[in-house]
Amino acid sequence: MSDQSEILWNQFEEERRQAASSKDAEALRVKYLGKKGPVSALLKNLGALPPDQRKAAGEAINRLKARLEESVEALMQEWSGREEEAKLKTDLPDPSLPGTALPLGTLHPVTQIGLEVAAIFVSMGFFLAEGPEAEDEYYNFEALNVPKHHPARDMQDTFYLENGQVLRTQTSPVQIRTMETIKPPFKMVALGKVYRRDSDITHSPMFSQMEGLVVGENVTMADLKGTLAAFAEKMFGKRLTRFRASYFPFTEPSAEMDVQCIFCEGKGCRVCKNTGWMEILGCGMVNPRVFEAVKYDPEKYTGFAFGMGIERMAMQRFGIHDIRLLFNSDVRFLRQF
Amino acid sequence: MKILLSWLRDYIDIQVPPQKIADALLMAGIEVEAIHEPGKHLRKVVVGQVLTRDKHPNADKLSLCTVDVGTGTPLQIVCGAPNHQAGDKVPTALVGAVLPSGFEIRVAKIRGVESSGMLCSKKELGISDDHSGLYILPPDAKVGEDIVKTLGMDDVTFEISVTPNRGDVLSHLGIARDLSALFNLPLHRNSLDEATGEDDVRALTSVTLDEPDLCPRYGARLVRDVEVGESPRWLKDRLEKVGIRSINSVVDITNYVMLDIGHPMHAFDFDRLAGHRIVVRRAAPGEKLQSLDAVHRTLDPSMLVIADAQKPVAIAGVMGGEETGVTTTTRNVLLEAACFDPVCIRKTAKTLGMMSDSSYRFERGTNIDNVPIALNLAARLIKDLAGGRPAAGLIDAFPAPPPLKRILLRTRRVARVLGIDLKPAQIETLLLRLKFEVTRNGEEIWVGVPPFRHDIDQEADLIEEVARLYGYEHIPVTLPALFSQPVLPTPLQKLVRRTRDYLVDQGFHEIISYSFIPASIPPILREGPPLPLKNPLSDEQAHLRTSLLWGMIDALTRNIFSDEYELRFFETGRVFQPDASGFTREADRLCLGCCGPANPVDWRHSREPFDLFRLKGLLSRIGALVPTDLEFARGTHPALHPARQFEVTMGNRRLGVVGQIHPQLRTNKKIPEDWFVAELDLTALAAAKPARRLMQPIPEFPAIRRDLAILLPKTGSYQAVRQIVQEAGGEILEKCTLFDIYEGKGIDPDRRSLALGLTFRAKDRTLKDEEIQPRVDAMVKKITERLQGKLRD
Repeated sequence: MSDQSEILWNQFEEERRQAASSKDAEALRVKYLGKKGPVSALLKNLGALPPDQRKAAGEAINRLKARLEESVEALMQEWSGREEEAKLKTDLPDPSLPGTALPLGTLHPVTQIGLEVAAIFVSMGFFLAEGPEAEDEYYNFEALNVPKHHPARDMQDTFYLENGQVLRTQTSPVQIRTMETIKPPFKMVALGKVYRRDSDITHSPMFSQMEGLVVGENVTMADLKGTLAAFAEKMFGKRLTRFRASYFPFTEPSAEMDVQCIFCEGKGCRVCKNTGWMEILGCGMVNPRVFEAVKYDPEKYTGFAFGMGIERMAMQRFGIHDIRLLFNSDVRFLRQF
Repeated sequence: MKILLSWLRDYIDIQVPPQKIADALLMAGIEVEAIHEPGKHLRKVVVGQVLTRDKHPNADKLSLCTVDVGTGTPLQIVCGAPNHQAGDKVPTALVGAVLPSGFEIRVAKIRGVESSGMLCSKKELGISDDHSGLYILPPDAKVGEDIVKTLGMDDVTFEISVTPNRGDVLSHLGIARDLSALFNLPLHRNSLDEATGEDDVRALTSVTLDEPDLCPRYGARLVRDVEVGESPRWLKDRLEKVGIRSINSVVDITNYVMLDIGHPMHAFDFDRLAGHRIVVRRAAPGEKLQSLDAVHRTLDPSMLVIADAQKPVAIAGVMGGEETGVTTTTRNVLLEAACFDPVCIRKTAKTLGMMSDSSYRFERGTNIDNVPIALNLAARLIKDLAGGRPAAGLIDAFPAPPPLKRILLRTRRVARVLGIDLKPAQIETLLLRLKFEVTRNGEEIWVGVPPFRHDIDQEADLIEEVARLYGYEHIPVTLPALFSQPVLPTPLQKLVRRTRDYLVDQGFHEIISYSFIPASIPPILREGPPLPLKNPLSDEQAHLRTSLLWGMIDALTRNIFSDEYELRFFETGRVFQPDASGFTREADRLCLGCCGPANPVDWRHSREPFDLFRLKGLLSRIGALVPTDLEFARGTHPALHPARQFEVTMGNRRLGVVGQIHPQLRTNKKIPEDWFVAELDLTALAAAKPARRLMQPIPEFPAIRRDLAILLPKTGSYQAVRQIVQEAGGEILEKCTLFDIYEGKGIDPDRRSLALGLTFRAKDRTLKDEEIQPRVDAMVKKITERLQGKLRD
């Protein structure tokens, strides 16, 4: 580069560094590359040079011109970009202003827990069955090995309808109805409302139960323990479970499953009445009498059944102390879930 | 039921801590609800003897006592009680004692005099509410002895809840028997008393058993010259601790035998039995008896009675009669021990509404072998405690002793059910511990069931016994290895789930209301006759709901009364209606209820109220979940505003209603006028066959849009307009949307303006204006001719 070009370039560089807007960049272009600018002047002066130098000088000037043009263009781009960006950033919205969508509603806490329990069993291959809430006595009692005038009927105080039917006291009749329609092997759960003649702070005349039944050729009590322990782990987290002997007319052997108290981790508290355990469900191996009632061969098939109250789990999960809150439709309560 | 540890120890030498006993019973199916150890929190309280009692020098109502507590150095104690004197023995709390109330005894100066202890009332010891004075102990109390021991407060009471199958554990013997199996400890038996005495009982009385089916065994013993009085302390104590009130020595003894070995008994005043004999028979129709609880009962032939030569003297197994009961004037006592049919006892107790400790046990089954044992035990106790003379022998009406029940247990079956491989010998051992008779032949075990185990009558019951004793905790944990057929959710299950999710997204809260409704709901909310309950809890819950509307309107109303005016609720649930033969027909329904704003009211949006069309929109979207098109027509539901309601149909089937609640149901000014409900039959909706959906090609050619504003008489229907538009538009009319409705200023007051956006498109070419204009013209023409509409300028 000739000295002149060098000086001009350096001078340009100096000024380019000072530029602080697209306007400045435009001014630089006019100043250096405009008709009255130094490059034009140099080109005009070419004619004054001896012919043998003209070509080289001309090329040098053109190179300088190209460099200047490129540099000015880049400067222009840079500043106009920044200016666009700055323009977009005016009028900033206040991020703390509330959004304006419709608030979500809520599923009832009992529905939420019911769906959660059902989802766990469905993921283990169970299907969801349903049955009527007003039942024939046969399905609610006799077929489940609870004859008339048996003290086991005292376990559940029953609502009778004028037409002789009962409001089911348990979801277990769905077991019978399912076995009457399909053949083993299968795994089913039934979720629904049941009714008992009882009303206080922990008992509602209507509540929800989840019933389960597994029937196959080699289903054992060990399978019952494994399945329900797997359920408990998903539902309550990794906690101890225990199975203790109990009595239900339709299972033999019968058991209750307890889970280590979720509030005190087994140390004993008011919620678990200082036992360290929470009663979760009743279960057992299907009584052969029940299989006989549905004409399954009790020699061929074994199975297990279980049933649990959904409200109690919802009350534990959400810290609800009075079961009646679940059924009085108070929006101040419902909104919280 | 209450069980005393000291009483259990009559039968079993069990020395583990009470909590361990409770845990073992619980795991074996006998729930211990509470353990009471009254002496546990009473320390450093001893028997003291008041040596001197003087007036406190500085206080009128206080006394200054010296008390011997067996240490050699009498204590000086200030006391405020009025009822003691020198020589009395009283509970004395020593310095350092903490009473059940938490009060700690220290050396204190009371009105200037030092006091080193406290003399206690029953209340201060935590044994009763009696605070009238000091607890004056019997003169034979040992000075210096720990009061816990003196008062027998070192005993432990278990509160036990027994499942209905275990009638055999409703006694101390029964619980001890299970404990002996659980802890593998020997069970001591009382030495069997002989029925010895003077004169043969058979010469003095007789038993006629008319109903051996209802009473398979009836035994009696006679004890003469009894002096009925108070029971001795130990007997009263045991009864009181298990919650039985002491009556007199004979009645106490019959109760004691029941609690001891589990067999209910009755004692008659022999001299009041007409003919001095017993007849076990059915009651005659209308026969009357005044039972021991002083109620006059009318009996019927379904009931078994114990009668004398003339009249019933007891309702068998339930309660004795007042007239022949044992009182302090009774001299000669006839003791009864019998076995009754559980079903008969249960029916009788239910019919008469009287459950007794006796009927409770007979319902659950008693041990038929216990009849002579109970009689002999009671006779001996009466002799020992009330001085009677038992007659020799016993009357034992036992026409058909049942054979020993024998059940085959296959050890392979145990493994198949429990998933554990127990050796036959192991199983045999477990059964022997439970007092079963066992005959083993390889893998087959014949098991003889003792007569107290009425709950055991099939192989499965024995398997449970094996598991119970082996311990459920020792059964391994596996997962079932079975293939189950895939079963998908039903259309209804899917629809319910999607509907719930959709409505929650739309801001609705789910409610669950009772399936019961009051008998007195407004008739306009009745949908056909409801099914009544036979035994409702209250009039408020007397019927089954025939529709969800009442529950929803009730929920809205109650919330409004709590000053909550912005409500959107939904419920899915069953409704119940009688079918042609009176049985219950059930269907799942959806109900919506709302009032207040329909939109989010916030810093940008002002309130838009709910109206019929918002709810129509929601219902249409729910139809689209199936998918199916719901149709809407004017409705006639009596609980809805006569003008502002639609009926929802699908095909020709009525699916539900939507509308503003009838002003007549607006019982209070607080309730806004624009509150709405909708109800939809989900069972029917889910049964709709969704149309098969085939893909339509994405359009290749551009569309042309035309807007059309029509002035239509207010009585005209949009549906009619649409029909014309569709007809005239033909196959190139792709879409017609109603984007505005206007009425008011600038428009004929009898008309409204409908603004339609028409989209035309052809599948195979770009449309030209010339093709569209004639069709639009035809639309306007027809609308003018047929609907008296006109184009808006």
